[in-house]
Amino acid sequence: MNDNGNAWRDFNRGVWCDDINVSNFIKMNYTAYNGDHSFLEGPTERTKKEADRVKELLIAENKKGGVLDVDTSRVITILSHGPGYVVDKDTDIIVGLQTDEPLKRGVSPFAGIRNSVQACNAYGYEMSDKIKDEFKYRTTHNTGVFRAYTETMKKARHAGILTGLPDAYARGRIIGDYRRIALYGMDFLIEQKKLDKERLAEKEYLDEETIHLLEDLAKQIEFMYQLKELALLYGYDISKPAVNAFEAIQWLYFGYLGAVKEQNGAANSIGRIAEFIDIYIERDLREGKLSESEAQELIDDLVIKLRLVRHLRTPEYNDLFAGDPVWVTIALAGVTGEGKHMVSKTSYRVLNTLYNLGSSAEPNITVLWSERLPEPFKRFCAKVSIDTDSIQYENDDLMRRLYGDDYAIACCVSAMKMGKQMQFFGARCNLAKVLLMALNGGKDEIAGDQIAPEGMTFDEEILDFTQVYNEYKKYLKWMARLYVNTMNIIHYMHDKYAYERLMMSLHDTDVERLMAFGVSGFSVAVDSLSAIKYAKVKPIKDERGIITDFEIKGDFPKYGNDDDRADLIGKNLIEYFYRELCKTPAYRGAKHTLSILTITSNVMYGRKTGSTPDGRKAGEPFAPGANPMHGRDSQGALASLNSVAKLNYACCRDGISNTFSITPDALGSDEENRISNLVTMLDGYFVQDAHHLNVNVLNREKLIAAMADPTLYPSLTIRVSGYAVNFNKLTRDKQEEVVARTFHHSM
Amino acid sequence: MSLAPSIIRCNMANIHSFESLAALDGEGIRYAVFFTRCPLRCVYCHNPDTWHAGKIEMSAAELFDKIKRYKPYFKNGGGVTFSGGEPLLSSRFINETCRLLKTENIGYCIDTSGSVRLDDEVKTALLNADMVILDIKFHNEADYKKYTGGDFSLPAEIGKFCSDNGKRLMLRSVIIPGINDNESDIKGYADYVKNLGLRFEKYELLAFHTMGFFKYDELGIDNPLKDTPPLDKEKLNALQDLLNSRLNGEKYVSDRQTD
Repeated sequence: MNDNGNAWRDFNRGVWCDDINVSNFIKMNYTAYNGDHSFLEGPTERTKKEADRVKELLIAENKKGGVLDVDTSRVITILSHGPGYVVDKDTDIIVGLQTDEPLKRGVSPFAGIRNSVQACNAYGYEMSDKIKDEFKYRTTHNTGVFRAYTETMKKARHAGILTGLPDAYARGRIIGDYRRIALYGMDFLIEQKKLDKERLAEKEYLDEETIHLLEDLAKQIEFMYQLKELALLYGYDISKPAVNAFEAIQWLYFGYLGAVKEQNGAANSIGRIAEFIDIYIERDLREGKLSESEAQELIDDLVIKLRLVRHLRTPEYNDLFAGDPVWVTIALAGVTGEGKHMVSKTSYRVLNTLYNLGSSAEPNITVLWSERLPEPFKRFCAKVSIDTDSIQYENDDLMRRLYGDDYAIACCVSAMKMGKQMQFFGARCNLAKVLLMALNGGKDEIAGDQIAPEGMTFDEEILDFTQVYNEYKKYLKWMARLYVNTMNIIHYMHDKYAYERLMMSLHDTDVERLMAFGVSGFSVAVDSLSAIKYAKVKPIKDERGIITDFEIKGDFPKYGNDDDRADLIGKNLIEYFYRELCKTPAYRGAKHTLSILTITSNVMYGRKTGSTPDGRKAGEPFAPGANPMHGRDSQGALASLNSVAKLNYACCRDGISNTFSITPDALGSDEENRISNLVTMLDGYFVQDAHHLNVNVLNREKLIAAMADPTLYPSLTIRVSGYAVNFNKLTRDKQEEVVARTFHHSM
Repeated sequence: MSLAPSIIRCNMANIHSFESLAALDGEGIRYAVFFTRCPLRCVYCHNPDTWHAGKIEMSAAELFDKIKRYKPYFKNGGGVTFSGGEPLLSSRFINETCRLLKTENIGYCIDTSGSVRLDDEVKTALLNADMVILDIKFHNEADYKKYTGGDFSLPAEIGKFCSDNGKRLMLRSVIIPGINDNESDIKGYADYVKNLGLRFEKYELLAFHTMGFFKYDELGIDNPLKDTPPLDKEKLNALQDLLNSRLNGEKYVSDRQTD
């Protein structure tokens, strides 16, 4: 690769020069930064102008009920729309929009035509006959899945035991390694894929998986060419590697843009890009071609573009994933396998966009926390959290053991190696409802239908823990098998009918696949079991003979108080369920992973679940993710954190989400104390092998005021469950649930 | 019932509650243990639920096991805060716990009203503390007697003991509208601590608040200050400034110890 002399000038050479190996490039070339944030620059006049335009657009979008415009005339693909700009061709630095206008959404029916029609209708649009005709002759992912679904799968889905599955929308959670485009240029990447295909074709016997992969590669190559054309529409040739910081960011962004034009998956994360970009910025700074202000301007402009990414969704979808998120998750910092921290000045510059452009839910800034991060960086992160409630933390010291030092986060808490692993996303099953089903011999406690195989009935006055737990395990076993098989159908069909051609072209051909299962209702299930074990729980049956309520006599330990009696029930429960999942093989040799993450579906899952033995009444929301149930963590913030920290990441390597809200006063009386206490808290939590923490530092009263008058805090951002939302974009029931959560306060 | 200060001597302590994140300015993250029982009956008490023994009985070893779990958060000078109620009533228990805490290098603060007799157990508990937070309830005997029911000489002895032994000492007073919110009161507090010759790091005024009122209703006891409003924040700041100026210029601040 001698012809890359100019693009690679002044870079330390290594194995990355001969093979695709971005990780090696970063480690050989990045500049670790140990200083504080005092070097950062504010927004330029140009950035302010562009940010003002964005503000206007967001207000207009909000006024129109959340969707500014929809292009219903054609299907959105990589090349469907010509160039579009936020202000104009000369003002935008980093260029490229999904359609020809900012915030105009495209129609992407590949995952399901019915869903797209409904999404158009929900916002007062009508899908064009042209699109409808085109899809008359095309099978969508959704159609494929429902052809193969068994009756039991449909029933479980309908009852809300297994829901939110990506069977009517695109799965997402795949991160293309967009850095490859900047480092190698498209021509080299295309050439490599062609070589992979040739090598594959040389096999003696072309089995089904090989044929599948050959077709995948053909699709990937086709879309790689299309991406080059997309860049040309904007006047750039991305065949060759980027020669400076601007090009590196622009090339990388073109890759991301192509991906979100082609795909409308549930989470479109951008990966671990900051430290990569920093290498180019540092070189330009050294060569005197860029000033700090200009470097910040590039990052600001990239972030502006990322904040404008939109997909067209149905109201049902918003019920699961409230607040119109895209999960442009960007992972920062972390530590190398050799123990050197990876904080660069660009890690700071990305955080600084929250000051320069105002706080925002997107991109979903995720700090890969390690004890070894430099103290000034930890303090700056804490300051940003306190000021903006916009960032989350994930334990690099924990994830690095499993994912190496070049992984990123997809969506909220899903780690995967950049360009080397992909995920089959699988929403979640309802652990609390499975418990009720076990108590009712396989019947749905609400509709009364027999869903699972018939089991024993509980006729004693008081529930016996051992009996209940044994029965629960039987149904969890049944659930696990059904869940894996359901996922296998979904992802078979998704690969077949809605394959992520561009994103997968930016992965190694022999990609490792993870199949991500999930649970909801975790703390409700744990507290219910604890109540049955330590208090006296009397089941109350209705006229159908179904248990619909419980009388609880006596107190019982609750998850969230650092009390092993409750916490270990949770730990054992999740380990059992994970082991059961692993017993059924996953599609395409995928490795099973599990998350305790609900996004905002904890409200919907709660709605579909009857009263539970912990005292929660029918229809009431669950706590989000792995959080203790609202208000039951009564021994303060750290006890709550310690309980969550006990859960075993090795069984939940798709993430254990914990969302934490604390009032400013409880954290400390002034900024200095708040910052140092938050840093200490994060260190203390993560050193116990905890995985994730969303941090909100705010008063409940502020949220209540914003509910009454949204104009008071138009950009109020709050972390909910692995991501942030603009509080005003949440529906009333979700706002109420957020307000009802535990706010750790001072005494 | 007798309000005579006495130390309850037993191997178990009666604990009202725990707070796993209790921030204390400059002292890192603290795990607070609230003991029950108090020799005082302050009219403005916001924790009347700690006056009498409650449900949680615990040995020093059990308490130590609980505290140990929070060690990862005790960087930057954090540790345990023994509060209450009156923690020094449980001095013997604290000393027993302290022996265990020392094995893990965990330190503690005592948050006290100083309304106990200075016996050997109390002395040990104070000497082993990283810091003592002493609540100066009132600056004259009449008010002290009237509003707390306690012995005015006790907190002075405790304060002097800490000061004379070079303990890090922090003083606090709660300012209540209509009771001690006059400028003359503030001067009184300043003179009181000066006359005692206390060496301390900080003297902080706290505003009377009504957030503990519901506890009086729950306990079915009369709340003598039920019609008193919370103290205005601006007024508090002005009084704090006044106090600072009255204390200024003289070296009452002890040298901060480091371990």
